[in-house]
Amino acid sequence: MPQPLNSKDQSLFRQVVRNFELKQYKKGIKTADQVLKKNPKHGDTQAMKALIMSHMNQLEEAFVLAKEALRNDMKSHICWHVYGLLYRQEKNYEEAIKAYRFALRLEPESQPIQRDLALLQMQMRDFQGYIQSRTSMLQARPGFRQNWTALAIAHHLAGDLEEAEKVLTTFEDTLKASPSVQDMEHSEALLYKNSIIAETGNLERALEHLEKIGYRCTDVLAVMEMKADYLLRLGRKAEAAEAYTALLERNSENSIYYNGLIQAKEISDSDHKALKALYDEWVEKYPRGDAARRIPLDFLEGNDFKQAADVYLQRMLKKGVPSLFANIKMLYANPAKRDAVQALVEGYVSGQSASEANGSAETNGSNNEFLASSYYFLAQHYNFHLSRNLPKAMENVDKAIEVSPKAVEYQMTRARIWKHYGNTVKAAEEMEKAHLLDEKDRHINTKAAKYQLRNNENDKALDLMSKFTRNETVGGAMGDLHEMQCVWYLTEDGEAYLRQKKLGLALKRLTAVHNIFDVWQEDQFDFHSFSLRKGMVRAYVDMVRWEDRLREHPFYTRIAIATIKAYLLLNDQPDLAHGPISSVANGLDSTDDAERKKALKKAKKEQHRLEKLEAEKREARKAAAANAKSADGEVKKEDPDPLGNALVQTKEPLKDVMKFLTHLLEQSPKNIEAQCLGFEVYLRREKHLLALKCLTAAHAIDPSNATLHLALIRFRKALDSLSEPLPAQTAEVVNAEFEKLLSKSQNLEEFNESFLSKNKNSVAHVQAALSARQLLKPDSKAQSEKDLLATLDSSDITIEEAVSALDLLDNWASDKSAFAQKASKKWPESSVFELN
Amino acid sequence: MVDIVPISSYPSYIDLLPSIQTCNITNLPENYFLKYYLYHALTWPQLSFVAVVRPKNGYAKSNGIAGAGAAGNVAGEYPKVVGYVLAKMEEEPTDGMQHGHITSLSVMRTHRRLGIAERLMRMSQLAMSESHRANYVSLHVRVSNTAALRLYRDTLGFEVEKVESKYYADGEDAYAMRLKLDGQWMDWKAIEKRIAAEDKAKAGEADGDDDEGEPVGDMGKKEDGDEAEKMVKVKVGRGLGVGDLVERNESQA
Repeated sequence: MPQPLNSKDQSLFRQVVRNFELKQYKKGIKTADQVLKKNPKHGDTQAMKALIMSHMNQLEEAFVLAKEALRNDMKSHICWHVYGLLYRQEKNYEEAIKAYRFALRLEPESQPIQRDLALLQMQMRDFQGYIQSRTSMLQARPGFRQNWTALAIAHHLAGDLEEAEKVLTTFEDTLKASPSVQDMEHSEALLYKNSIIAETGNLERALEHLEKIGYRCTDVLAVMEMKADYLLRLGRKAEAAEAYTALLERNSENSIYYNGLIQAKEISDSDHKALKALYDEWVEKYPRGDAARRIPLDFLEGNDFKQAADVYLQRMLKKGVPSLFANIKMLYANPAKRDAVQALVEGYVSGQSASEANGSAETNGSNNEFLASSYYFLAQHYNFHLSRNLPKAMENVDKAIEVSPKAVEYQMTRARIWKHYGNTVKAAEEMEKAHLLDEKDRHINTKAAKYQLRNNENDKALDLMSKFTRNETVGGAMGDLHEMQCVWYLTEDGEAYLRQKKLGLALKRLTAVHNIFDVWQEDQFDFHSFSLRKGMVRAYVDMVRWEDRLREHPFYTRIAIATIKAYLLLNDQPDLAHGPISSVANGLDSTDDAERKKALKKAKKEQHRLEKLEAEKREARKAAAANAKSADGEVKKEDPDPLGNALVQTKEPLKDVMKFLTHLLEQSPKNIEAQCLGFEVYLRREKHLLALKCLTAAHAIDPSNATLHLALIRFRKALDSLSEPLPAQTAEVVNAEFEKLLSKSQNLEEFNESFLSKNKNSVAHVQAALSARQLLKPDSKAQSEKDLLATLDSSDITIEEAVSALDLLDNWASDKSAFAQKASKKWPESSVFELN
Repeated sequence: MVDIVPISSYPSYIDLLPSIQTCNITNLPENYFLKYYLYHALTWPQLSFVAVVRPKNGYAKSNGIAGAGAAGNVAGEYPKVVGYVLAKMEEEPTDGMQHGHITSLSVMRTHRRLGIAERLMRMSQLAMSESHRANYVSLHVRVSNTAALRLYRDTLGFEVEKVESKYYADGEDAYAMRLKLDGQWMDWKAIEKRIAAEDKAKAGEADGDDDEGEPVGDMGKKEDGDEAEKMVKVKVGRGLGVGDLVERNESQA
């Protein structure tokens, strides 16, 4: 039973609440203790004290106290509300919602509880619950516009467009006079309503409404974009053309507006003359723009192309625009255009056409710049995969550097050429040189660090990064990179560790990126209330929808794929938990036990050394910055597991991997590598139905995919050698569905050999087929090794493919030296085939 | 080629924010949480713009919600971001003058000399004028950053207002610059007139009809009219988590 307080204690209790609201946490605890001294079982006070503790980084203790409070006063809405708030802090939203509901049942009129419940329902996308909450909030306070808007949003996101519009209109109808133009909330609400009408697909009505309200909306650009889009989709061509012209007059550097204009004017894709004339008009109007000059190169052909390209190239080379090649290379899908560009620029440097097209005599200085730009262009041209000739690239970049020795971009290209030579060591060195040319520039610092990571120099790269990080942050430079959500660095660092089979650190970094995405998802929470106050509801709704597809971002796809590879490796070779182990010693079957034990011992020793080193570093940092605070003012603790040992020493890698795989398959289902990795995980987990689902999805994306071929054979083999038969129902589905991909009657060896001969010109396919053969006929290993070696004679083989052949040999527990030697001979400048 | 697009118009390209964050941390030492970018995009959606590399085969068409973006839609395409301007309105102007502020602007050094930064700035400035009646726009720039100074002062017409000593975390001074903007304001008087005229016409229509002279809808009748007005002026952003966000390096310098 609740303990009643005397009036003095009651006022003290109110003070505790005030203390909490004003963030006077220490005072609040003191006051609460004062009450509890006399009323040790007063639930509400205990609950408030718990709430305050939770804001002082004592969530665990807070939970203990909050539970006790509930025991003392089960019927207190305060106790239940606090209990919910604690769960909310722990991000256990389901439990939090339950607790809020209890609290609300005890105190149905409480606005704060209702509000907290609504926010969580939104966060959890419980739209029906949210509609309920918002309806009762509106009934309680119909005077606030935001309560109406919120209910409209609830219906909108729940998919009930009609009801959403109705709610907005009902509010509008209550207004005696139209709000003034300064009222941005009104302006936004009108546009929001318009976007809902458009979403119903009734563009006629949307346009009509927009014309009625658009003049008074302060987001001028949005009104213009909406109008142009509606008109175009309605087929009202003349007006659409006008609308896109107006947009281009605002911003002539947006190719989408040109597309709109061309569609509206119904100019056919093949009418190059009319298209060119249209773009020329805009060049004349805005001579400083780039888009109208550049886009025609996409569609012009033959001589027209050559002429236009000549003018374009010379103009940009004279201006010394460094992105010229990046802007041109997309044309190279067409070999004729590629060759024409090459001929033109080769012409400029040989001194033929440059002055001729110029007409006037150039001064020496600008002529030099033109020449350097042209050499730079050619260097990039010959470095590009569709026009590659690396010696020529090097020759040209050296000439460019000779003219302008201080040009950072030229030196950067030099590094890129080395990268394509397969020499990560030289590439990193050369990029470092570029960095030294402009040490105050973070962009080149970034590039240099990235190249070091590609060369597996993790420590050196971090050191370089630290020139631009806030090193007083807890955890030093690495701490700052985490705090500032530097996704690219954590990803590259993780991938570099994965290449080195340092799985602990690899998992550590990749998981850090995964956690950043969790933070980004959590970030939306505050906006559920904030945006309603601000009134910018279109942007808010866009944000909510984006958050629902947050992890389809290529940043996430990339780390998910790398992480799954790391976990699969860990699952297949558990010894890697102790650090990288030389591949021969780690061979699955072929090496003797003593050898393996020796290698393992060595790895463990190295692991201990690293741990000690890390501990020393931490101590040093602690001494340097006794009270380092993070950006948000909280005191952050040092990471107790900087090497990722906790992650890598998991007992269940195939369980830990699931949170990555689930997101990946849900948000990037069209990614064939994702589907193939899904198969790998599910096969190992003996989830045959799910494995097959991935195969079917992969087959739908690209039936001729090399990895898929190997997977099909492996799945058939797995089905043929089940340790215990599948449940009858599962078996039926699996057999029927898999039959469509690979018939049971198919002889696998024949299937594989025919695949091999059909795809003998693709190295990736050959590698997959040889792996399959190794699986089907292990005694043909010598032949497979020979065939793999022969792929080096293909003129198409890339360095990356040759590197993956080395991994293959690892898997087969074969000797790599012959392959590496031959590859080194084929790519004499490379460093990646040096075995250590 | 590079397209300059709004972050938050129609359709919305808010999914570019992570790549904008990457562009920022690649180029500049002043970095922010993603939430700070969100805060800009959700508070002043009109003001921020981004430069993206157009994909080889263009953008997908009409892949937005219910077919939005018939001429092309960047959403879901994740093109490379090579520049951005992140801008806001000053929430509590010390001089009482409504004005904009450039939080961050950068263009990849590989994409310089194309006028990208200038265009980003002009788009943002126009939106500040049109949407928010900004009197001026302010920004900070490192005293050593001659290229940026040239853009702001010579190309765009900014003036140095003062030097802020040790403004940046590494101890460097900043020029505080500003540019007057009132030339591009919309004619609000004319709009108000039209609003009034339309209200009058509507009232006239209603007068002709016996029953509908009174405002409709009983829910909103009693307390609201006034309160709804008041809501416009409510201070926002405090005590909500989001409001606590600050421009980290700028304020802690």
